Amino acid sequence: MSTLQAALSGALIGGLYTLMAAGLSVTWGVLRVINLTHFAMILLGAYLSFQLTTSWGIDPVLTVAITAPLLFVLGAALQWVFDRLAIAELNSLLLTFGLLVIATQAVSEIWTANFQQLPAGANPYATRSLSLGRLVFPVSTLLAFGFALVVVGGAHLALRRTFAGRAMRAFAADRPVAAAFGVDHRRLGMLLAGLAAASAAVAGMLFALANSLTPATAYEWFGIVFAVVILGGVGQVVGTMLAGVLVGVLSGVVSAVLSPSAVPFVLFSAIVLALLVRPQGLFAGLGAGAAG
Amino acid sequence: MLEVGELDAWYGQAQALWGVSLTVGDGEVVCVVGPNGAGKTTLVHAIGGLHRQLRGHIRLGGADLAGIAPHRVSEHGVSVVPEGRRVFAHLSVHENLCLGAYRKGARAAHRETLAGVHELFPRLAERARQPAGSLSGGEQQMLAIGRALMAQPRLLLLDEPSLGLAPLVVDEVFDAIGVINRRGVSILLVEQDVERALDLADRAYLLSEGRVVTAGTSAELRASDTIRRSVLGY
Amino acid sequence: MTVAAARWRALAAGRSGLVALVGVFAALSALSLYRQTLGFPVYYLTLLTTMLFWTAQATSWNLLSGYAGYFSFGQAAYVGVGAYSTAVLYGRHQVNFFISMLAAGVLAGLLALAVGAVAFRLRSLRGEIFALLTLAVPFILAALARINPTVDGGQGIIVAVPPFPDQLGRTEDFLYLTMLAVAGIAVVAAFAVQRARIGWALTAVRDAEDVSEVLGVATFRYKMQAIVLGAVLGGIAGSMFAVQIGFVTVDSVFTLTIPLFVIVMSVLGGRTHWFGPVLGAVLIVLLQDRLSASGLDRWRLLVLGAVLVVLVAVAPDGLYDRFRRRPRTAVATLALTVLVLRLIDRWGGPTDWLLIGLLAATATAVLPNPGAAGPAATRWGAARGGAAEPVDAEPAGAAAPVTAAGTVATGIVTAAPGAVAVPIGAAAPVVAEPGAAAPVGAAEPAAAGPAAAAPGATERGAAASAPEPATGDRPGPAGAPSGAGAVLVECRQVSRSFGGVRALSGLSLQLRAGELVALVGPNGSGKSTLVGLLSGALRPTSGTILVGGRDITRLPPHRVAHCGVARTYQIPRPFASMTVRDNVAMAVLFGRHRHSLAQARRAAEEQLAVVGLDRLADAHPAALNLHQRQLLEIARAVATEPTVLLLDEALAGLNPTEVDSAVRVVRRIYQAGVTIVIIEHVLRVVTQLATRVVVLDRGTRLADGDPGTVLADPAVVAAYLGKRAHA
Repeated sequence: MSTLQAALSGALIGGLYTLMAAGLSVTWGVLRVINLTHFAMILLGAYLSFQLTTSWGIDPVLTVAITAPLLFVLGAALQWVFDRLAIAELNSLLLTFGLLVIATQAVSEIWTANFQQLPAGANPYATRSLSLGRLVFPVSTLLAFGFALVVVGGAHLALRRTFAGRAMRAFAADRPVAAAFGVDHRRLGMLLAGLAAASAAVAGMLFALANSLTPATAYEWFGIVFAVVILGGVGQVVGTMLAGVLVGVLSGVVSAVLSPSAVPFVLFSAIVLALLVRPQGLFAGLGAGAAG
Repeated sequence: MLEVGELDAWYGQAQALWGVSLTVGDGEVVCVVGPNGAGKTTLVHAIGGLHRQLRGHIRLGGADLAGIAPHRVSEHGVSVVPEGRRVFAHLSVHENLCLGAYRKGARAAHRETLAGVHELFPRLAERARQPAGSLSGGEQQMLAIGRALMAQPRLLLLDEPSLGLAPLVVDEVFDAIGVINRRGVSILLVEQDVERALDLADRAYLLSEGRVVTAGTSAELRASDTIRRSVLGY
Repeated sequence: MTVAAARWRALAAGRSGLVALVGVFAALSALSLYRQTLGFPVYYLTLLTTMLFWTAQATSWNLLSGYAGYFSFGQAAYVGVGAYSTAVLYGRHQVNFFISMLAAGVLAGLLALAVGAVAFRLRSLRGEIFALLTLAVPFILAALARINPTVDGGQGIIVAVPPFPDQLGRTEDFLYLTMLAVAGIAVVAAFAVQRARIGWALTAVRDAEDVSEVLGVATFRYKMQAIVLGAVLGGIAGSMFAVQIGFVTVDSVFTLTIPLFVIVMSVLGGRTHWFGPVLGAVLIVLLQDRLSASGLDRWRLLVLGAVLVVLVAVAPDGLYDRFRRRPRTAVATLALTVLVLRLIDRWGGPTDWLLIGLLAATATAVLPNPGAAGPAATRWGAARGGAAEPVDAEPAGAAAPVTAAGTVATGIVTAAPGAVAVPIGAAAPVVAEPGAAAPVGAAEPAAAGPAAAAPGATERGAAASAPEPATGDRPGPAGAPSGAGAVLVECRQVSRSFGGVRALSGLSLQLRAGELVALVGPNGSGKSTLVGLLSGALRPTSGTILVGGRDITRLPPHRVAHCGVARTYQIPRPFASMTVRDNVAMAVLFGRHRHSLAQARRAAEEQLAVVGLDRLADAHPAALNLHQRQLLEIARAVATEPTVLLLDEALAGLNPTEVDSAVRVVRRIYQAGVTIVIIEHVLRVVTQLATRVVVLDRGTRLADGDPGTVLADPAVVAAYLGKRAHA
């Protein structure tokens, strides 16, 4: 395919990457924990969407109306537990890693390790595409980008305009002073974790639209998600979107021009370069940001 | 209105305050002076909810604040202007101010309060969209005070507002504090600049090595040389 | 304990540890070499082989990640490199197996070199980001292996068992013995590292990396050594892995399961000791084996994840430490359980019983001991007052320690020349008594980061005490004439900004030999920033700093330390996992001259005697109170044999008695020939001690001269007491 096509398709898929990464980035920036269970949330979101579509024939996209609130509650509950346990930062990485392993195994138990895919009949989005001249865009990628815009835009506005959003940014900047002005870190943490999990549900659904699922997929997302988080700047919502698109474009172009297997190498080099040159994120300073 | 009684405070194993007692009456301006390391900031943090290892009581209009969760302190009508300003650097001036009104009791009227703050500090209105970190020291101090006012406090705690500011700017800041007091807010002012503090305050406490050494009206303290000896050692 | 006793104990532990290892090694070899005579089942041999493989992996991982605290998620990278080296060289090209093993080690080592060179240079790369970066490496390698046909090309490579002499027995024997050799090397390496200089360095890095740099530890070098050694061992073990699985594919060697196993094993066993990963490996392999045997294979990973979660929540330090505290309980539980199960003989086989026994022993270690007293938590926040084991509970005014001269000085104030009495009794855990005559100034709250104070951050120090001067001998500013000695330290137009705020502005200053300079000034004047700059922890935004004529502006902190500059921290930052003696010994070990551990410990004890902490030499810093910790800071700094000593508010939070004794310590150090810069708030102390006073105000020098003149200077008075508006 032409490089332009690859770049544009990549940019659209970048929306999916953004949605996968945004929740992790913001919780990392505000709550200072790297919550690996986020990947389990995405996985669960994907599988739940899959199940709801195949069992009850719900339109796959609409499944988020169910999965998002469900995972919101799950995410908030988990955060509550973490808060109680008061785990140190590096240990939180280990703890959530353990939980991720448990979760993937549980998924494997319920849905088996075989590849699952939304049946074509129930999933019109996988087959349809939009054509613009010589460029073809699968509907699933357009949806991904669209959702990303909405979610990121909404998050950006919320972080700037609402009291809760400002509270989160203040909390990330200076915890004790924020608390002195009434910001309750426990409730804030739960709200944030819940929202992150809900965004993961959306990401999962979008993933399920265009890919086949297997429990081990959760680990395959690590590279992309961390690339987006670090390039976008930890806690920066708009930065994450830009980084998502960038990663998408890079992956697409490298895939088309060199080979799909060269992608991890390129991404990795990009991360290292970014850390060397601009550790706060390539796009830090733009947009509201949470950690700032 | 504020009554601190026999307050002890610790940082881990090190005790910072020993049996500190003071009062602030309704509408009063009270200052706390003393040498570095005397525990002035600890005292402010303890009253304002930023420090929790405490023993003793801190009563504000009947409620005991010592040891309650930090985020609940502001609900009782105490607001802090921390040492070094500690504005939220990456939030805009406007957002900083709105955050000040975060507590439930202050949210409803936050637009009116904001107007009042803008009237007091017109420069904040001019710079509403700028990130707080880009403001000068004096402007940040005004922002920090404005932020604290947004919570509609009954008692305003100020920790070394003159720190790092040019004299003219300090003038402005202290004038503003005077205005705030005249609007009915009680003030507890901790300061290194003894002269200015005594000029502004009705009463003063001298804190040294974590204990109250002397207390009295500003006139009394100005007349004695206890303060100079405490700070300079002679 | 005397130096001789400690020395013997260390030697014995070392020697007996080594003897024990050799013995175990011999015994384990015998299991295979004399297998038929012993009637040892082959099945167990295979089980042991697996244990040995994971022991090698976990141990090698632990070298960097456990000892130094740099968590790596990328162990699969080394295993993968090792496995593929053997697979390609031996499996495909029939190169001699053992040569391929060597190649595996070398290649893995080179990989680690590259990773370390990048990762350790980036200052922002501590902690979590390092972990994530290492996570990426196996993925990259997997991708490369998959697309590159000279490596794999997606097909996988068959690896047959290499030929071995018949006397060894069956294939299982060969595998077992080779793996035993590999694991043996790994364990011995970990054992050796733990005891050598590098072990100390890594522990210091884990406890407080920037402090260790300032003490003279070349952290980059040691971290590189650790990561490369770990990788080489992991690679060699990976080579064996290839033979074990027989068919090497990208997914089988670059899998996330490997780091998961390795991490769980080390965390379970304990990361600070070489035995921890061994213990963890044995337990986990046994557990997994029994799960498989019971048909619960599918739950293997889930159990592993659960173990990790529970561990982190309940016992993040691992089992070994806990076992070591109550070894008899653990061993007894194990023996008893196994015995009981054997007697009942109703269920399972020996391995099952062993597993249950180990789990039971683990439970006793992990569950809280009802006898131990926890710290009493008051309603308001963390426990105050003494630490878990107050070392010295003597009441105030009790006997002072043995002085260097060997005579016991009693009382608090002593006039004996050369003897420094520090009232250790008075330094017992702080207990609040209403009306007690020991007010304590505020100490820095825990939220503060390293001593580089941002302007506006409070610099807390000892408060001025009561107006009347304290009694006791204080012969004015320290005896030695403040002559014009050689210029030791020079600052030329030094500025330092943090973000937009200027902490220091064009400061020029000279420090001469023989001076005792007091650096004073109001809050936010830049004092701590200056100390940070002089010790190399911070770089100036502009300007130059010369120490002994040498430009240190670009030097890393450990080199600055070797130039003769030492500092203490406002908030004492000891190495938490070392004893008091070893904390000071660290400074000697990594100081300007090479010393052996025994020499370092001896020198440490001398220093401790100077500050009066020699009684507490075997205690851990957690058991010390604030005053004692500050003395430890001073002892540690002085032990580096500095020409210039920077004391950053060394008197912070002390009562007047403690201040007096600390002043005596400082004077003694000064009289021994060290030029001292002391940041202080207690101006009465300044007048007593200093030959020269430098006043900073808002990042510039306000006044500079002898104490009397400077303190009477109206500008200085105004800076402290307040400026009249438009005066």
